[in-house]
Amino acid sequence: MKEELFISGRDIPYIDPYLNIWHWEIPVYLFLGGLAAGIMFFAGYFTIMHKEKEMQATVKFAPMLVPFALVLGLIALFLDLKHQLYFWRLYTTIRFESPMSWGAWTLMLVTPLSFIWAASYMKDVFPKWDWKFKFLDQIIDFIIEYRKTMAWAMMILAVILGVYTGILLSAFNARPLWNTSILGVLFLVSGMSTGLAAIIWMSKSKYERKVLSRLDLIFIAVELFLIIHLFMGFLAASEVQIEAAQLFLGGEFTVIFWVFVIILGLIFPAILEILELRGFHIPIWIPSLLILIGGLVFRYVMVEAGQITRYLY
Amino acid sequence: MDKKIGLKKRPVYINPYFGGILLGLLILTSFYIAGRGLSASGALKLTIVEIVDVIAPEHAENNTYYNRFLPEDGGSPLFNWLVFGAIGTFFGGMLSGAIFGRLGKLRIEKSAKISNRTRLIAAGVGGTLFGIGSQFSRGCSSGAALSGTSALSFGGLIVMLVMFGVGYAFAYFFRKLWI
Amino acid sequence: MGPLIPLEIITGQWDFVIALLIGSAFGFILEASGFSSSRNIAGVFYGYNFVVLRVFFTAMIVAMVGYLYFSYLGWIDMNLVFVLPTYLNSMLLGGFIMGLGFVIGGFCPGTSYTAAAIGKIDGIVFAGGVFFGIFLFSEFFPFYEGFYTENYLGNVTIGEMLGVSNEIVAFAFVVVAIVAFYATWLIEKRVRKNMTEYKFE
Repeated sequence: MKEELFISGRDIPYIDPYLNIWHWEIPVYLFLGGLAAGIMFFAGYFTIMHKEKEMQATVKFAPMLVPFALVLGLIALFLDLKHQLYFWRLYTTIRFESPMSWGAWTLMLVTPLSFIWAASYMKDVFPKWDWKFKFLDQIIDFIIEYRKTMAWAMMILAVILGVYTGILLSAFNARPLWNTSILGVLFLVSGMSTGLAAIIWMSKSKYERKVLSRLDLIFIAVELFLIIHLFMGFLAASEVQIEAAQLFLGGEFTVIFWVFVIILGLIFPAILEILELRGFHIPIWIPSLLILIGGLVFRYVMVEAGQITRYLY
Repeated sequence: MDKKIGLKKRPVYINPYFGGILLGLLILTSFYIAGRGLSASGALKLTIVEIVDVIAPEHAENNTYYNRFLPEDGGSPLFNWLVFGAIGTFFGGMLSGAIFGRLGKLRIEKSAKISNRTRLIAAGVGGTLFGIGSQFSRGCSSGAALSGTSALSFGGLIVMLVMFGVGYAFAYFFRKLWI
Repeated sequence: MGPLIPLEIITGQWDFVIALLIGSAFGFILEASGFSSSRNIAGVFYGYNFVVLRVFFTAMIVAMVGYLYFSYLGWIDMNLVFVLPTYLNSMLLGGFIMGLGFVIGGFCPGTSYTAAAIGKIDGIVFAGGVFFGIFLFSEFFPFYEGFYTENYLGNVTIGEMLGVSNEIVAFAFVVVAIVAFYATWLIEKRVRKNMTEYKFE
């Protein structure tokens, strides 16, 4: 146990100098948000490219997960709040300078959109589904006309959803580990990669899996590049950032990060996916599950480690 | 002799001598980097200590066997060379199975002369015996016999000789399981 | 100069990451040599597949000779490498029980992980059995605690115990290994005459 004794006026429990108020709820939400963003982005993209027939799981089946993921994520966020009865206050104002406001409103738009998208494909996924009211059938037909527009909206909102989680963390100036601009893009790419992994797991067509596996490999490569440059940035910055990076380079988070996030969560699934593309037979749930677990552990580690880093002392 | 097995069905393995050389070099690397070899049973033992510690901490403290492996600074016993070596063994085996085409659906491998149930019971009984025995000898075949004897420990040599000797002695009685 | 971790040349938690990589190579080599099939492993007791002996012995002699060479060249400090503590009675009993377990189950814990990794249910059951066995041992430990720790001879090496230098021990091992390889090659040829399948997946 590392014991530090200091005498200071700075001693707000759980906040200063060590932040210790975000627990499991936030990483769970970050993971689910990234997953939803990834799935929605590709659903929108392949709809715009007129590839709905070849990429059925991307466009029809995987978006069925998105409403659940978003609702669970929002519940996790709700559970984390201290004054839970006043959550609605977030929606009484739009503050452009606050990433949290951006996030709240993006979620407010994206969640109903994902429900509508999933609803419009209900008949395709469950052939016996009956809306039971005529006006609902008419609404669904109306929605189906506007799928293209919805797809564009989903793509843009998905990118904002994926990026804002990283920007939100990087807005914490007092946490040296988080205060880096790479985090936004890194969380977006990680979210896309986990979304692709989920779609690949659900997909039944070989062509679709091939296309998505190739995309996934690109995203994994980009993610590795970004992580390396994240640490390069830390090691080239001031002393607090170097200390923050040391948590991952020999400190207490080294093994969890490098083993579960990098090796088992990115590199090993990438090797398995390359082998699969080359023709070796790999059960498809193994790389997908590893990527998903890696994404969750990554966000958990970033939230935990970030709260430990601080300026001064 | 092997006319009955078509070329496609014969499993692809690397030459055992080559595999042995690689394994020997790996153990040497392990000695050079960490000063110890690998032990698969050690990882399971530490997992058990961790589970008992989480479920019933006082029992873990009182039992003198668990107590040996709880780190003094209160950290988890899972933060140990052996545990990560075991995790690596699992995924390394998976990778090799993937490359050589042996990674497939869940299956039970047994001689055609016994039933699935017999094989699973035998595996369970064999595993339990191995678990008990490995604790007495402070290592299993990879830990005590392989790494131990390579480091020239006398204990490793005894364990290996007794293990294989007893195996040979009792092989006749269990031949129905294999041949 | 090694070993690197005890000498603090590699510090912090990096040693666990290295453990993962070494473990992966270990699992890879085991699986690629055929140790993920219990029928291959049990072949050493019945004479139809001596892969266990070949891999084991070769690995031991390579590691032993390499280790002694490294020590001679000054690359490794032999005092910092872990040598098993010798508890004579306990180890004899342990080897006995493990031998039984080996011939009944057909796996050892390391190979059962690789078998489980490629989907063999009997490998998973074996690993579960090891888990259970260790648990049983730990629970009943107070009954044989005395036996467990008696006859402690210290962390002796083979050379110290037999009174010869370790290099002679390694040489003896190599000679025994070569004889064993030849003998098992002959036995295998004989036994395989009556079998159609001796290399299992």
